[in-house]
Amino acid sequence: MRFRINPLTIKKFRRFQSIRRGYVSLFVMVLMIVLSLGAELLVNSRALVVRYNGDVYWPTYGHPVPGTTFGLDYQHETNYRQLARQFEAEGGENWVLMPPVPYNPYENDFRENTLPPSPPSFRDRHFCGTDASGRDVLARLVYGFRLAIFFSLALMGATFATGISIGSAMGYFGGAFDLTFQRLIEIWSSVPNLYVIIIIASVVIPNFWILLFILWAFGWMGMTWTMRTITYKERARDYVLAARALGASHVRIIFRHILPNTVSVIVSYVPFQVAGGIVALAALDFLGFGLPPPEPSWGELLQQGWANLSAWWLSGSVVSAMVLTLVLVTFIGEAVREALDPKMHTTYE
Amino acid sequence: MTAYFIRRTLLIIPTFIGITLLVFSITRFVPGGPIERMIAEAQRMQVEGGGGAGAGAGVQRQPLSDEQIEFLKQYYGFDKPLLNSYLAWLGKVIQGDLGISTRYQDPVWEMIRSRIPISLYFGLIAMALTYGVCIPLGIVKAIRHKTAFDNVSSIIVFIGYAIPGWVIGIYLLVWLAGWWDVFPLGDLVSENFDELPLLQKLLDLAWHSVLPVIAYMIGAFAAMTFLMKNTLMDNLAADYVRTAIAKGLPFRRAVFGHALRNSLIPIATSFGNNISVILTGSFLIEKVFNIDGMGLLGYESVLERDYPVVLGVLVISSLLFLIGNILSDLCVAVVDPRVQFD
Repeated sequence: MRFRINPLTIKKFRRFQSIRRGYVSLFVMVLMIVLSLGAELLVNSRALVVRYNGDVYWPTYGHPVPGTTFGLDYQHETNYRQLARQFEAEGGENWVLMPPVPYNPYENDFRENTLPPSPPSFRDRHFCGTDASGRDVLARLVYGFRLAIFFSLALMGATFATGISIGSAMGYFGGAFDLTFQRLIEIWSSVPNLYVIIIIASVVIPNFWILLFILWAFGWMGMTWTMRTITYKERARDYVLAARALGASHVRIIFRHILPNTVSVIVSYVPFQVAGGIVALAALDFLGFGLPPPEPSWGELLQQGWANLSAWWLSGSVVSAMVLTLVLVTFIGEAVREALDPKMHTTYE
Repeated sequence: MTAYFIRRTLLIIPTFIGITLLVFSITRFVPGGPIERMIAEAQRMQVEGGGGAGAGAGVQRQPLSDEQIEFLKQYYGFDKPLLNSYLAWLGKVIQGDLGISTRYQDPVWEMIRSRIPISLYFGLIAMALTYGVCIPLGIVKAIRHKTAFDNVSSIIVFIGYAIPGWVIGIYLLVWLAGWWDVFPLGDLVSENFDELPLLQKLLDLAWHSVLPVIAYMIGAFAAMTFLMKNTLMDNLAADYVRTAIAKGLPFRRAVFGHALRNSLIPIATSFGNNISVILTGSFLIEKVFNIDGMGLLGYESVLERDYPVVLGVLVISSLLFLIGNILSDLCVAVVDPRVQFD
């Protein structure tokens, strides 16, 4: 087997495991991401299971099931909450099993005699209340989380790919290439990127990919600069000289020798990049230049919380969700950093 | 050393040109500029003025004649090629003329100048408090490393680090201002500010400043505390401190006389970067608290396509940013004579 895990890597992982705060955070975070992938099963207006006249239906995934299937008088998608009440009233063999939160993030749940936003209610199963247009806050939080986390993971992938390739080339080759990109990065990072994003976002209506592209275009500099510095340091080491003397090509030296030595630094940046991506998306959504309106997003909820000060559950729930996510990510980040670069300090009694 | 700083200062020029040229060309190529805005506005006024049955037809009609549009284009320099009008703009900027706002018809420099004290006020208070709290806190955390105090304060500082200041601002605003009514709902001063006696004016200002200052502080707070803690711990572990303690120096004197002085070097290096933060503020925090500072001015001018103001704010903030970077290096050189630049 050619692929072996380096014993040093195992040691680093053990060290990470021993930092409880970070390890538990990583566990919780992975659990949250996995759960969010199956969010349709937990937070959805479609029923999990419907038993009707002896047949069992699983409507969660796939095409919408028309109301006529269950003996209702409409062609559009079945309203399962209503169906559940109806079956219950009839009392027969038929039943409907709804997810814990029986709302999807897009539907407006208007109630008689009240105007949204309405406060949290266990009876209506709006555990975090509804927002200004009567949509379930918890549903929007869950789907917004899924969107935000995958957005920032994708953003991180893009910025890392750019940063690592340009940065290590800058550090390795130096000279005119390095100088040109240094100036370019200095200019690029001095441009107030949020202004530019706002100007662009008000011209093209942004979607997931456009937003990703814009944030990438103005966010690749940090990682590039870091990679440049590390590569620059590594390049001066003797093993690079030795590899060069043995006749290794530049590409080989960069990818087989220098890059593995910089992995620990790259990894320690991952959590902070993820946190940064979530915050950047939330900021754009808060200002109204992020994802287009019906998309569930945390920034949009923050904006609503800011605009409806009396609806404490709006800002309360979205800020709690943000605090939870970002603190978990930060704890993971600190633990990774400590595991990869342990600092043994002398302490005096 | 002098040569290094002269070279750095000269490098401001190409970078400054690069930044402004980039934003200038973006403002040129993006549709929805000031002229389109004026046309839209004239259209709306026509519709409102005409009213009734004629309104439907009014929307279709071009409200400004071609000559008028030509005149406007000439007036704002949109008729010339990009590079020419950029050079014309740059020439004016060098003479200290930032142009006139297309939206308010005020000189841009006046608009910026009236905002600077507001951002400066928050920036200075937040900076003084950050340094005033972080340095002692970092020292205590370093000395009491791995104690209950260290762990608890770390968690609190981490939470502050993870959450951006403007989000905490919204949260504080909702609870302390909206729900419990302890603090005002944004703005810099109360409406009746001018009628108040001096003491009450100050109290009013302070009362309005508490929440924004907290929001401003939170971001820098964690980074500064940990920087202080970690460098002090590195220094405490260094041989010269061990020697000092070994020869019988009291711990207190070893920390304050030897380790602390060296630990302040990294803190000093970040000092120069504060200048741009202090003067330009954060537009997200200013928007949340409805404070009329530099940040909000820039943000609103982008929204309203008031390009002379956008570029004016950009000129000021990018110059401050570039000068701040050099000041940082200068701070390092002053604080730490071992540092050599080449």
